[in-house]
Amino acid sequence: MKATLALTRMYVKLAARERGALFFNYVFPLIFFFVFGQFMGAQPGGAITRIVTMVLVIGILGNGLFGAGLRAVIEREANILRRFKVAPITPAPMLVAMIIAGWLLYMPGVLVVLGLAHFVYGMPWPERWLSLLALVTVGSWTFRSIGLIIAAVANSMAESNILIQLIYMPMLFISGATFPVSMLPNYAQVAAQFLPASYLNTGLQRVLLRAEGIESVAGPILAMLASMVVATFVSIKLFRWEKDEKLPRSSKLWVIGVLLPFLGMGVWQAYSREHINQSKRLDREVRRNQPRLIRDARIFTADGRVIDNGAVLIRDGRIDQIYEAAPPDPKLLRADVVEAAGKTLLPGLIDVHVHLGSSGGLSEDPRDHQAIEGMSRALAAHLYAGVTAVGSAGDSPTEVQKLRRRVDDGDRVGAELFLVSAGGGPEPAGAGVLAAAEAFSHLATGRPDLLVRSLVAQVAPAAMLAAARKRLAQDNTRFRGRLHGDPPDVESARASLLNAWRAGVPLVTGSDAGYPLVFHGAALHRELQLWVEAGVPPAVALQAATANAARLLGAGNRIGRIRKGFEATLLLVDGNPLQDIAATERISALFLKGERIDRPGLFEQE
Amino acid sequence: MTDSPAIQVRGLRKRYGDFEALRGVDFDVRAGEVFGLLGPNGAGKTTTVEILEGIRPRSEGEVSVLGLDPGVDVRRIKDRIGVCLQATNLPDKATVNEVLELFASFYSRRVDAEALMRRLEILDKRNSYYATLSGGQKQRLAVALALINDPQLVFLDEPTTGLDPQARLEIHKLIEEFRAEKKTILLTTHYIEEAERLCDRVAIVDAGRIIALGTPREIMARTLGHSRIEILCEQPLPDRRPPESLAADKVVVGDDGMTLAVASSHPARAVVELVKWIDQQGVELADIHLKRPTLEDVFIELTGRRLRE
Repeated sequence: MKATLALTRMYVKLAARERGALFFNYVFPLIFFFVFGQFMGAQPGGAITRIVTMVLVIGILGNGLFGAGLRAVIEREANILRRFKVAPITPAPMLVAMIIAGWLLYMPGVLVVLGLAHFVYGMPWPERWLSLLALVTVGSWTFRSIGLIIAAVANSMAESNILIQLIYMPMLFISGATFPVSMLPNYAQVAAQFLPASYLNTGLQRVLLRAEGIESVAGPILAMLASMVVATFVSIKLFRWEKDEKLPRSSKLWVIGVLLPFLGMGVWQAYSREHINQSKRLDREVRRNQPRLIRDARIFTADGRVIDNGAVLIRDGRIDQIYEAAPPDPKLLRADVVEAAGKTLLPGLIDVHVHLGSSGGLSEDPRDHQAIEGMSRALAAHLYAGVTAVGSAGDSPTEVQKLRRRVDDGDRVGAELFLVSAGGGPEPAGAGVLAAAEAFSHLATGRPDLLVRSLVAQVAPAAMLAAARKRLAQDNTRFRGRLHGDPPDVESARASLLNAWRAGVPLVTGSDAGYPLVFHGAALHRELQLWVEAGVPPAVALQAATANAARLLGAGNRIGRIRKGFEATLLLVDGNPLQDIAATERISALFLKGERIDRPGLFEQE
Repeated sequence: MTDSPAIQVRGLRKRYGDFEALRGVDFDVRAGEVFGLLGPNGAGKTTTVEILEGIRPRSEGEVSVLGLDPGVDVRRIKDRIGVCLQATNLPDKATVNEVLELFASFYSRRVDAEALMRRLEILDKRNSYYATLSGGQKQRLAVALALINDPQLVFLDEPTTGLDPQARLEIHKLIEEFRAEKKTILLTTHYIEEAERLCDRVAIVDAGRIIALGTPREIMARTLGHSRIEILCEQPLPDRRPPESLAADKVVVGDDGMTLAVASSHPARAVVELVKWIDQQGVELADIHLKRPTLEDVFIELTGRRLRE
């Protein structure tokens, strides 16, 4: 004990006198910190927290692998350890002291990074201080011990450098420490599940971002502790005092023993994908937390109010503030600005009646129906078109539940999914459906007009449209015979819609998307246009597609309106749909729970 | 101090694969003596010492250090011995005082570091980094490290190898002081003069065996070592045949007839006879030189090789 303390003190002093060690522990992470800060436009909320976790992981990796790994080899190579060999001291206190000394040296760096993040970029102080420090500590110990085992098996400086780089580089680049996991190709995402750094990274994100306690990352912590214990034990076993002692090649296999806990975790995660999805969720959360100020917009609140020139501040995925006059300086708010002059901000549109399992095409192949890939693509198509919530009718409830969970988790991006009726049950009122009636009449007459609409071409696969066009040119009576529950003709549908509106019945929009020639996402816009053509005022139609629809789906207290505290699920369109309803198709920007959606990217999700 | 020897070695053998580094070594080191292991590089000195220090396992034989078996009680032995390695390296940016305090923490006994530094004349360097010390200062620090635990037995493994003459003299002076203080020291060296000057007893080691053991004087006496007498005359000797009285000695007269080289086991008597013989021929002596045999001569005689080949 006395010796361990004395050794620890010595190692701390030696490292503190080493310019290289100071550079790697403090300067290097700070360079990363500011470079990332500038490149990523660090803002409070998600981005700065992500930068802090990056810098912490990079720091722990460097401190552990290079600090412990190289120093031990240097001391052996320089014949310094020989002198210790003839003293009554065993490897254990020396190794423990090396681990503790590196950790002690690293911890002030953590405080520096947190302090800078707080004072320069306005990151709030972490809520779970103890969990954070505990996680950093366990991470530091683990990587120190991995560094030591590298020192134990490497026969020379050059060899240990190679080994360290072999471990350092993948951990740096695919653990999520430098690039978000969701940006990586799938095989790299799976490979990352074998790296301790990945778990450290998500652990830190959870503690910093979600203020979760250390108990919620117990699995990775235990794996790290197990690695540390095995690594320390193996380092003691393989400890060499002199450079002349060479290790047999087979001893290098011991390294695998150290990585065994993570090999196990990796295999399990590659199978369950739980951790991959968790990293994606955390990435998503980071993006959702980014504050944004949408200003100079016309705002259709769906609360019975239109603000001609206002601004909306989004923070932590919610509508934080609505300004009817000039908003404060975005720099003070530390928010990204979305300039919206000439544009209209609406709540995300809602389609209460869709059939996700059907494509909207004219395929007779049963495999095109109810396929889960088809369903998730349909969901992406809705979101692409600014339809941020849909009610699924008649789809397989198990598949819908599965898909819904993935979307809710943030693992997959798509419109929020509600189950309005399980196959064949009664459908709610408002499945009014002029779009379906129109499609039906076109189907009967073979008119291809609906296929060439711009939004349709954007959301539906080209091959499907080409096939549909071919079928329309053929004999269509066969289709008629196959359809059940045919919609009413356009005229009577229009009449009943107007009747209901005039009678004061609250209207909601449901497009029946998935029905032949009724394409997911595009259909709701067509429905709105047909309503306005029929004589419903645009404001009423939009109200039906937002607040009313949300209420019908039982989510009227969080979506469907632009109101303080509601989810920041917003659609920004060019022009003014209150004058020209077709403006809803000219989507300028789309926000889902605060995340600015990369619309074309929606179709690229695996 | 008890009379039992500090070190006892019987039939010690060490094999590295097919190579036998030690082929049956026997010796004792008595408490209070400076015992030297003298031999060329690769003779087995360091192997012997490392086995005694407990850092190298032996292949065969009985070994006892301070009454303990280094193969079993290595920790207790290390705690009670002091070791000065052939080459000590320490972290460049550790100070003299820090290094001493660090090593002091490893032992169950310790002496005052300041007193030790004063004694070894490195007190003024106490806060200097190891890297800034001179070779002699580094070696004195290495000796200080060997003494920090007030050891009952000190191993000095070639303590002066690689030092400049001045630093070597300083170390010699220290060892002489230790000898006067009756410290038990096992010293290995390949310097003849070190063994002759510093050791109470010496074992000459060659190729894994002890080929001679005793006080330096005993060793020299026991061997066939002859003294060498060199004479230079003013004029050539008319008669170059040595007299009957010098028949036991080997007399070589140089080609010029003026130089004589004589090997004798009784140098005192031979000198008298030689001077008499030269004087009788009316030749004047220019110079006379008597060379006693050294351990080097002993080594050459025993092995046919010089010590440092």
